[in-house]
Amino acid sequence: MAPGALLLEAQREYEKESQKADEYLREIKDQNLLSEAVRQCIEAAGYEHEPETQKSLLRAASFGKCFLDKFPPESFVRTCRDLRVLNAIWDYQIGIPLTFAQYKQLTIEVLLDRLVLRRLYPLAIRICEYLRLSEFQGVSRILAHWACYKVQQKDKSDEEVAHAINQKLGDTPGISYSEIAARAYDCGRTELAIKLLEYEPRSGEQVPLLLKMKKSQLALNKAIESGDTDLVYTVVLHLKNELNRGTFFMTLQKQPVALSLYRQFCKHQELETLKDLYNQDDDHQELGNFHVHSSYSSEKRIEGRVAALQNAVDEYYKAKNEFAAKATEDQIKLLRMQRRLQDDLDKPYVDYSLHDTVYGLILDGNHKRAEHLYRDFRVPDKRFWWLKIGALAEREDWEEMEKFSKSKKSPIGYLPFVEICMKHHNRHEARKYAARVTPEQRVKAHILVGELDQAADAAIEHKNETEMNLVLSKCTAATDSSVAEKINRAKAQSLKK
Amino acid sequence: MESLAESRERGCHVIGRAWRGMAAHLSSGRVNLTALREAGRRELREFLDKCAGSKAIVWDEYLTGPFGLIAQYSLLKEHEVEKMFTLKAGRLPPADVKNIIFFVRPRLELMDIIAENVLSEDRVRSPLRDFHILFVPRRSLLCEQRLKDQGVLGSFIHREQYSLDLIPFDGDLLSMESESAFKECYLENDQTSLYHAAKGLMTLQALYGTIPQIFGKGDCARHVANMMIRMKREFPGGQNSIFPVFDTLLLLDRNVDLLSPLATQLTYEGLIDEIYGIQNTYVKLPPEKFLPKKQGEGGKDLPTEPKKLQLNSAEELYAEIRDKNFNAVGSVLSKKAKIISAAFEERHHAKTVGEIKQFVSQLPHMQAARSSLANHTSIAELIKDITTSEDFFDNLTVEQEFMSGIDTDKVNNYTEDCIAQKHPLIKILRLVCLQSVCNSGLKQKVLDHYKREILQTYGYEHILTLNNLEKAGLLKLQTSSRNNYPTIRKTMRLWMDDVNEQNPNDISYVYSGYAPLSVRLAQLLARPGWRSIEEVLKILPGPHFEERQQLPTGLQKKRQQGENRITLVFFLGGVTYAEIAALRFLSQMEDGGTEYVIATTKLINGTNWIKSLMEKLEPPPF
Repeated sequence: MAPGALLLEAQREYEKESQKADEYLREIKDQNLLSEAVRQCIEAAGYEHEPETQKSLLRAASFGKCFLDKFPPESFVRTCRDLRVLNAIWDYQIGIPLTFAQYKQLTIEVLLDRLVLRRLYPLAIRICEYLRLSEFQGVSRILAHWACYKVQQKDKSDEEVAHAINQKLGDTPGISYSEIAARAYDCGRTELAIKLLEYEPRSGEQVPLLLKMKKSQLALNKAIESGDTDLVYTVVLHLKNELNRGTFFMTLQKQPVALSLYRQFCKHQELETLKDLYNQDDDHQELGNFHVHSSYSSEKRIEGRVAALQNAVDEYYKAKNEFAAKATEDQIKLLRMQRRLQDDLDKPYVDYSLHDTVYGLILDGNHKRAEHLYRDFRVPDKRFWWLKIGALAEREDWEEMEKFSKSKKSPIGYLPFVEICMKHHNRHEARKYAARVTPEQRVKAHILVGELDQAADAAIEHKNETEMNLVLSKCTAATDSSVAEKINRAKAQSLKK
Repeated sequence: MESLAESRERGCHVIGRAWRGMAAHLSSGRVNLTALREAGRRELREFLDKCAGSKAIVWDEYLTGPFGLIAQYSLLKEHEVEKMFTLKAGRLPPADVKNIIFFVRPRLELMDIIAENVLSEDRVRSPLRDFHILFVPRRSLLCEQRLKDQGVLGSFIHREQYSLDLIPFDGDLLSMESESAFKECYLENDQTSLYHAAKGLMTLQALYGTIPQIFGKGDCARHVANMMIRMKREFPGGQNSIFPVFDTLLLLDRNVDLLSPLATQLTYEGLIDEIYGIQNTYVKLPPEKFLPKKQGEGGKDLPTEPKKLQLNSAEELYAEIRDKNFNAVGSVLSKKAKIISAAFEERHHAKTVGEIKQFVSQLPHMQAARSSLANHTSIAELIKDITTSEDFFDNLTVEQEFMSGIDTDKVNNYTEDCIAQKHPLIKILRLVCLQSVCNSGLKQKVLDHYKREILQTYGYEHILTLNNLEKAGLLKLQTSSRNNYPTIRKTMRLWMDDVNEQNPNDISYVYSGYAPLSVRLAQLLARPGWRSIEEVLKILPGPHFEERQQLPTGLQKKRQQGENRITLVFFLGGVTYAEIAALRFLSQMEDGGTEYVIATTKLINGTNWIKSLMEKLEPPPF
């Protein structure tokens, strides 16, 4: 008798509370065959179809295991589980007469596929849950199959189906609503597909399908919701090809995010379209900017550039941007004048700023023309004086500078004269202006021209500590010790008071 | 990696020099950012290994700087990258490699160049090469469509993306280095960079855990928070099981605080950036001050190449002085000098062999400290030449007057004089914008006067730049009769008269008086909370909000007594070094209770920020 059979007997006797159980068990144990006996019982259970027989064999194995020290439990557990699965599919309502060996050969995945093909979804899901398969491998896959089948049920309304699917699937990981939606679309149920896509959290998946289904507007909404600008661009360019220009623009109008992105695209790719977009929006400010831009980038001849700027002026006025309009008119005027200067003087003037133009004229001794421009463009006095003395100094036209300084009271004072002369290393001229600066600037002026003694006197006269320290900081021990002494004395005196 | 740009300048096409870049500084802070860099390197290696065989990389030039912070050339070499080129029109240079990989940002104009490269490939003479394309930071359907239209899409075997969103710059600093983020967001209503920011935050959360609390101020902040919440929903079940490192995320729009970048930064690092410009942690300096002093003959051949230094917290001395007010740097440097020379003096006292051995073992560290000190002394001298100039002083005085609310409503004499003398335009724009911001806009007469002066002096072509500044709100017309800035200044204590530059007790030391509004917002959020400043928050642009992200029960943080909270402050549209210094100051405050990690779309200063908003109109050539 095989040890397994004997073990089965032993267990039966044990249940009857008969001492024979002990006898049989000893018999197996004496031959050292107990683990073999347990193994046989487990294996035998696999070949049995009747749950009752399976149970008694497994009970015998379990009984035998109690008397073993180290019997690995896996085979027992695995067989119990597998048998439970097999019993389920052997049920007459299912009727898959797979043997244990066949089942092992096929693997659980294939079995699940067969169940899915037979649309035995609930059973398949129970099995997955029972075997604790990962959701990706198991439940999600089956639910997805179920959903794909469900969308083909024509007798139910779109709402019902979508609702039913979401009810079951929820947020199960690994479910791709977009795949299910794609299936629905393939079955001609576009509305259902759209409803299903609502449940798809990944916009990257929603948008291409929506485009495929020609639901571009919805795709645009979804793309914008996602924040993924690349997706928005994709839809926008799709729309551009799909719709006629008018409708396309109207669509963009409703979606500011898409509109701004498309503007960016046009700025780099299709300048003319950009203009049309601004035109449609009556965005005169941007239209003005657009013309300014093109006057620089696409027009070569002066006439062309002036014409573009003239367009800009018109738009700026429409935009009620008085300042920009006036500034642009001035620029047109300047361009024309510069062209004339260029012709008359045979020197490049065009495209210099007003400042540089006037500066250049003074540098060349064309004081009359400079004066003319200065008046014509109403350059503030102060700036003109700065500009003129700078240019005269560069020209080293000291005589003209002196004449200019005496033409009227300088709106910028005389310190800048001192500075500019010193910058061009003309101490002699600088001294002339140092004498003319206001009392507050006297110390600074004297320091600039290197007259520390006078600077010290002025500072002491002002009783200004900061000024005195300033002079002191310029003194070098070797050469200016007398000056330093003078200041220190004055400082000491003021302290006493 | 910067060597890529240099070699191109020299007219040579191939790069051979190794990238530098150690990562020790990234693990110095409360949050170990090495993990982020590692993740970046892993992703890069995986992609390179997909293209089996020898490779040449064709670089979108803008990417080389940021990439250098992630991987050195040696890493690429290990993965059979043999040559590197700069992406440019025409035919690709010859290279005997199996794979050509384009590393590019997803931009249409770059796609056109790539198409030209691929189409002009000589199929007859040169051996067949495989093409691949790596989009940084994201693949783009638009770009692929363009390649398709050009008929080359099929030429690419691998088309992938490399999500280089947030690049670790230092132990507490991340930047996207997205140059035009501010312009795109606030001028062009193009929120692409915000999408990348949200993606970057998702990557960060995948590595450092879900951030339970999100606060924000501004429209862009709101948009980013919305996208984050949405993206979280896109991965249900992917429950993040990492213990959260950050307690709070604070999203701030740059346009909530337009003032801070306009003011001149007065910290050491801030001034280096203001004057020389720091790019991807590197600065280029005039070489004269860095000559070796000892050699008498060395003086003949003056170096013409600028001195290039990397600036980060890996350098001990720099970490100590970078965030100090520049006026406090000198004393630290001279103290260090004394310590170092004392340490070198030690050798005379070393009598026993043991003592000598001890001394010698410290030598490398001492020498490094000495050369670091020498470098920073030179830099400090360079900066001092500028900060002690009269013009710097005058400019600063005017800035400070504006910020403290003096005479902001009329035309400023100094500004006018600067225009008349044609000082650099950006300087003028910074001053005028600063005045406009400090006055909640300028009166029509004042605004028009400035604009006219600028156009007449610098040229009409700047009219579009002025328009851009107006669109961005930097320059505006005062619409209401009320000037809101004083209210904001007083409530938020933005102007501090008693500033201590040497031993600061308030963040206002970074601008010698002005406390950056953005950082005040962060400070007030931590304590006592924004509820205390509801009124001011209503005046500042955009909504303010709070969101909570649910954590599984096991991951909820139980704070130890005295353990600081960690807040990630994300500046959308850029952040200055002075603001970073102010946040670091708050982190170090003894009873502060909060430590900060800073993220931004771009590290900015007033100059490069204004520059990014300028419209370049050039007259046609004759």
